[in-house]
Amino acid sequence: MDPEAARTARESLDLAFHMSNILDTGLDRHTLSVLIALCDLGLNPEALAAVVKELQSEPPPSPPLPTSSSQIP
Amino acid sequence: MEEEDQRKVTDLVVDLVRRLLPQQNPNSPHFSQSLRYALRILSSCLNPSISPDADAIAESIKRRLATLGNSSDALTFADLYTKFASKNGPGSVHNKWAVLYLLKIISEDRKTAKNGMDFSFLLPNLGLNDDEMGNNVRVLNGKDNREKGWKNGVLLVSKDPENLREISFREFGNLVKEENEVTEEVLVRDVLYACQGIDGKYVKFDSNLGGYALLDSVKVPRATRIIVRKLCELGWLFRKVKGYISESMDRFPAEDVGAVGQAFCAALLDELSEYYKLLAVLEAQSMNPIPLVSENASSGNYLSLRRLSVWLAEPMVKMRLMAVLVDKCKVLRGGAMASSIHLHAQHGDPLVHDFMRQLLRRVCSPLFEMVRSWVLEGELEDIFAEFFIVGQPVKAESLWREGYRLHAGMLPSFISQSLAQRILRTGKSINFLRVCCDDRGWAAAATEAAAAAGTTTRRGGLGYGETDALESLVMEAAKRIDKHLLDVIYKRYKFKEHCLAIKRYLLLGQGDFVQYLMDIVGPELSEPANTISSFKLAGLLESAIRSSNAQYDDPDILDRLRVKMMPHGSGDRGWDVFSLEYDARVPLDTVFTESVMMRYLRIFNFLWKLRRVEHALIGAWKTMKPNCITSHAFTKLQRAVKLQLLSTLRRCQVLWDEMNHFVTNLQYYIMFEVLEVSWSNFSNEMEVAKDLDDLLAAHEKYLHSIVEKSLLGERSQTLYKSLFVLFDLILQFRYHADRLYEGIHELQARTVESSLNSRDKKKSRRQEKDKSSEPGSWISEGRKALTQRASEFLQNMGQDLEALATEYTSSLESFLAHLPVQQHIDLKFLLFRLDFTEFYSQQHPTV
Repeated sequence: MDPEAARTARESLDLAFHMSNILDTGLDRHTLSVLIALCDLGLNPEALAAVVKELQSEPPPSPPLPTSSSQIP
Repeated sequence: MEEEDQRKVTDLVVDLVRRLLPQQNPNSPHFSQSLRYALRILSSCLNPSISPDADAIAESIKRRLATLGNSSDALTFADLYTKFASKNGPGSVHNKWAVLYLLKIISEDRKTAKNGMDFSFLLPNLGLNDDEMGNNVRVLNGKDNREKGWKNGVLLVSKDPENLREISFREFGNLVKEENEVTEEVLVRDVLYACQGIDGKYVKFDSNLGGYALLDSVKVPRATRIIVRKLCELGWLFRKVKGYISESMDRFPAEDVGAVGQAFCAALLDELSEYYKLLAVLEAQSMNPIPLVSENASSGNYLSLRRLSVWLAEPMVKMRLMAVLVDKCKVLRGGAMASSIHLHAQHGDPLVHDFMRQLLRRVCSPLFEMVRSWVLEGELEDIFAEFFIVGQPVKAESLWREGYRLHAGMLPSFISQSLAQRILRTGKSINFLRVCCDDRGWAAAATEAAAAAGTTTRRGGLGYGETDALESLVMEAAKRIDKHLLDVIYKRYKFKEHCLAIKRYLLLGQGDFVQYLMDIVGPELSEPANTISSFKLAGLLESAIRSSNAQYDDPDILDRLRVKMMPHGSGDRGWDVFSLEYDARVPLDTVFTESVMMRYLRIFNFLWKLRRVEHALIGAWKTMKPNCITSHAFTKLQRAVKLQLLSTLRRCQVLWDEMNHFVTNLQYYIMFEVLEVSWSNFSNEMEVAKDLDDLLAAHEKYLHSIVEKSLLGERSQTLYKSLFVLFDLILQFRYHADRLYEGIHELQARTVESSLNSRDKKKSRRQEKDKSSEPGSWISEGRKALTQRASEFLQNMGQDLEALATEYTSSLESFLAHLPVQQHIDLKFLLFRLDFTEFYSQQHPTV
């Protein structure tokens, strides 16, 4: 990937991460990137959300949530 | 490429699951179960439920943030989103909306999960292990009665390991697709075409059914078919209305359609243009699907058949009304069309009422225009024969009576009969003034009237629904113009004076003039009719006028008085054919028409006869006055003859008295009870007459009452005949009386002569007697002959008089007998006067 594209991708991810924090989704950066990739491939976002919800709801929500006051990229 | 993508997907999913379940060992069965589960979920819902509009989703997120009170968060989010959305090119996210949507759902889920409610009804609970399953089932059951929302409207009542629901959904989807060959959008578009009268792809005009319908070959569910058919009724109505309009417009050049019809078409076209506007808007909407931001709305076009039916409900009502009107008005025109439309406007529904009102305003404007111009200017601009006033070309003198009349067929029902009469009269008055009276003053009256009524004399002042305004305008105009007309008639044309003149001359009101006339004309008229020249009579008339008070009358009036000789046969005397006539010119001959003058003539004849009889009697009186000649005769004659003479004389006197009594009273009755009373009534009515119609009616009444009361009417025929018999008898009497007195004078003269000639009385009497019968041989006879002659003569005369008297009495008796029987007039005055001593009723109890 050329650096331009890489930068764009990084910035997009940052923005998305920031938005997801505002919305308080509880997703970390990596998971979010995976989800974005899956969306780009054409999967139904409703289905993905369902998956996330299902899998997150069984065990007690373990991964500590990143602090809402995350660093501003 | 596909497989690569698939692999990528799987890898990513694995990664995701790992991420989400960090504490799990990637190789545990739980992990694989979860993985399987995740894959199943992902494969089940393939289509998103909302349309891919990233902006809309961002908006909704912003709104949600704002409503939750985090306005700063909302602003930050907005900022981020703009930056995110602006990133394009390689390396950026392509499915932005998907990402946003994802984030949105996740955050919402988290929120609801945090709030303790568990909306896990989206998918079947697979139950990862028994405990969990049991828990979850309990949770499910427990939360059953508390749950409120339904994600997809499907209540899960049992676990479904085989995913039967999925299968049935899919089957249903296939079925629907199969049945609906045609999508709803296409149908909607077709229906919209049908509403404009154009055949669509699947909806065509079926002449068997007489309407638009879906083709049978198209497979659609019955419900759709029915709703399409209902909506296409609008198309059928539209066709009808448009057909009428184009048909009418084709007939315009042929001048077949009237002004009202044209106005109707114009109004309909306006309504149709409104309709077209609505259809254009609907068409535009049917092309563009409007996206909805609420989650649970279905995608697809905004305009479904149901929405269309809601939108088209109001146009349907209006179009139905228009079609009904078109049906009714196909064969009507003018005022009749306005009437029938007005009938339909009597409706309670405000929508219908307003619609009809507007339509009627347009339709009736030509009619109101015509009324206005008729009432204010007397102009009848009616090219298509639609107005309810029809004019005919007539001569000037019948203009008032026959020139214009109402045409009831064209009278609109919102103009009442009395108002129509007034309108007719006002216009007629203006025309009458213009044509017959040469008067221009009515224009001022018209403008005044218009100002008073609050409208102007220009066009377009009035409209339908303002019947009150029209009425007030008409009233004002009528009032002023009538007054003006009466002014003109009275002042310029001196109607009253002419009426009075007619009364004085034709109805013999001017006594001294009549006396002179009779004196002068009398001897002339005794000749046979064909020897009399009317010029001579005219000269005599002139001299009569000059010698009486009539000479001081207005020369214009005297000018019009003429002698008329009626058409006569060979045996007629002048008395039968003589009459006077009065020449009433335009405009007064509207009142004094030919028939009216004929009636005056009849009355004149009657009165003239009566006068003649009176004149005869007076003449007889002159000879019957006691004078020395007759008294001298008493002394000279023999006793028997004297007695005869006395009795004859007495008989004559008595008869004369009776006749005179009769004639005088009859004359009095006619002159005062009939003529004067009628005249005073007529004068009073002339004072209060408000327009020419009133005047005509009053005059009619006047004449009628005169005719009836003087026994000239049809119902008094028998009485009239007996009256003439009496007149004849009276004239005979005059003749006899004359003869009698002539005889007596002769006798007297002979007696005097004989007394001069001989010393013997008898001799002279004889001589005189002889002379009375044969003038030549009188002297030769002696006194005896004279006496004999005298007695014979007197006897004859006596007998004649007796006969006359009996005849007279019997006629009079029959006349009097008929009098009380006449119910229709007040003859009791006459009877009272004739019989005031009850002489006749005592003599003949039947009277």
